[in-house]
Amino acid sequence: MSSVIWYLYEFARKSWAENFAAAKSNSEIMDKPSRFRDYPIVHKEYCIACGACTAACPAPMAIKLVRDVDSAHEQGITYPVINNRGCIRCGFCAEVCPTDPKTLTCGENHLIREKFTILPVDKKYVIDDYLCIRCKKCMKTCQVGDAIVEENNKILIDQKKCISCGECLKTCPVKGAIKGIHIANIDEQKEIINLVVDTLEAEIEAHEEDVKKIGGGEVFKLDMDSDDLIEKARAILPNDELINDIIENITDRLKLRIITWDKNKCTDCGLCVKECPSHAIRFTENGVIRDPDKCLKCSICYQTCPFGAIGYYIARFLFKPSEDGANIIHITLKTSDLPVRS
Amino acid sequence: MLDGLKDIIRKSSIHVCLVNTGGCNGCDIEIVALLSPRYDLEQYGIYVHNNPREADVIIVTGAMAEQWVDKLQRVYAKTPEPKIVVAVGNCPLTGDVFNQEGGNVHAPVSDFIPVDAEVSGCPPRPSEILEALLTVAPGAIAARGRQKL
Repeated sequence: MSSVIWYLYEFARKSWAENFAAAKSNSEIMDKPSRFRDYPIVHKEYCIACGACTAACPAPMAIKLVRDVDSAHEQGITYPVINNRGCIRCGFCAEVCPTDPKTLTCGENHLIREKFTILPVDKKYVIDDYLCIRCKKCMKTCQVGDAIVEENNKILIDQKKCISCGECLKTCPVKGAIKGIHIANIDEQKEIINLVVDTLEAEIEAHEEDVKKIGGGEVFKLDMDSDDLIEKARAILPNDELINDIIENITDRLKLRIITWDKNKCTDCGLCVKECPSHAIRFTENGVIRDPDKCLKCSICYQTCPFGAIGYYIARFLFKPSEDGANIIHITLKTSDLPVRS
Repeated sequence: MLDGLKDIIRKSSIHVCLVNTGGCNGCDIEIVALLSPRYDLEQYGIYVHNNPREADVIIVTGAMAEQWVDKLQRVYAKTPEPKIVVAVGNCPLTGDVFNQEGGNVHAPVSDFIPVDAEVSGCPPRPSEILEALLTVAPGAIAARGRQKL
């Protein structure tokens, strides 16, 4: 009964009648809140044409590296162009952009720097929240007791308390949910990664004639003995555990893009020269020449060429350290399904 | 005079049919947000019906999956004139993240049916969809109606 009286009282008020007569949304619904991450902003002058943004971008049509026309005095600058019709505003491009200040800015998250640990250990343990199933086995086995904590329904490792014993990694039932990251010898690790990638690329390029014969839908398999590679890596850093970890992680994720060049089919039309974002393709007296060191493997030339002179293949890898001493890296190659735009 | 009267009625009562041609559903959720009290689509005389035979506006989201290739044209054919098509989100424009190599999407939607308005974003803000609908729909429908007569 009392609520009915309350309703009658509410309806009798003048402000209610006014609101009822003119029910319209406020104009502030059109405003974007300050936290909203909008399309990335490009600052052309800082770009070094590394192609990291195009590699990180999840939407295939969103970022294209373009190059200005060369003037008489200098080469035209290269810079990324964001296509608003493809961009999903994730901000990955801004996150990976290595220049300082950043060529691409998008929102605020990518400006936050990760805190580093000052523990005297060479391995840091982190939990991947995507893979973690929250079974809390690691919390029970933690030697410190409270180094692994639950916060906002997420399991986190408190880096201030963790002593990097590695017990949690042994009990974790999900592969990859707890990661041991080597935090020492960063420069040597980079060197080893470069060595692995270069060796794999050289191995594939040695079989270039076979690669050119791959048809659509076919898979070309290649096995590489990695003993030489491991021996070379030992020269950089004599730590077998680290080398094995690096090779396994790298080959798991690596997707090498391979470009082949068929001189016989090339008609020196020069269409690709203008499109190449990194000046890797040049027009010389001997026809069109591609500089493999400058090439970003962006596939724009493959999509441009109307004569099929350029081949574009995707290579993937699997590394299995076996107990009988044979460390084989399995390589699979197949043609790319990218459309040719011409 | 009859034209003027029809114009007024067409502009003040717009019926919308939402077609998802195989996207992640994010854009549809943003359109559902338009129905909420905060944005309140119906105060502008726009009603979501999801029946192409009653619709004036077809809102297309999604990246054109294989199964939609012939069906979208059927939906378009069943909509009575005057009709307009609004493509919402990046999927109908470029295929967005689904247009990977080896993928099986047939974006853009404009290859299959004529698109009158495009709203980019993944997903676009409800206010952006509302803006596009209100800018294009009433005028375009009235203009189409006059053409037909």
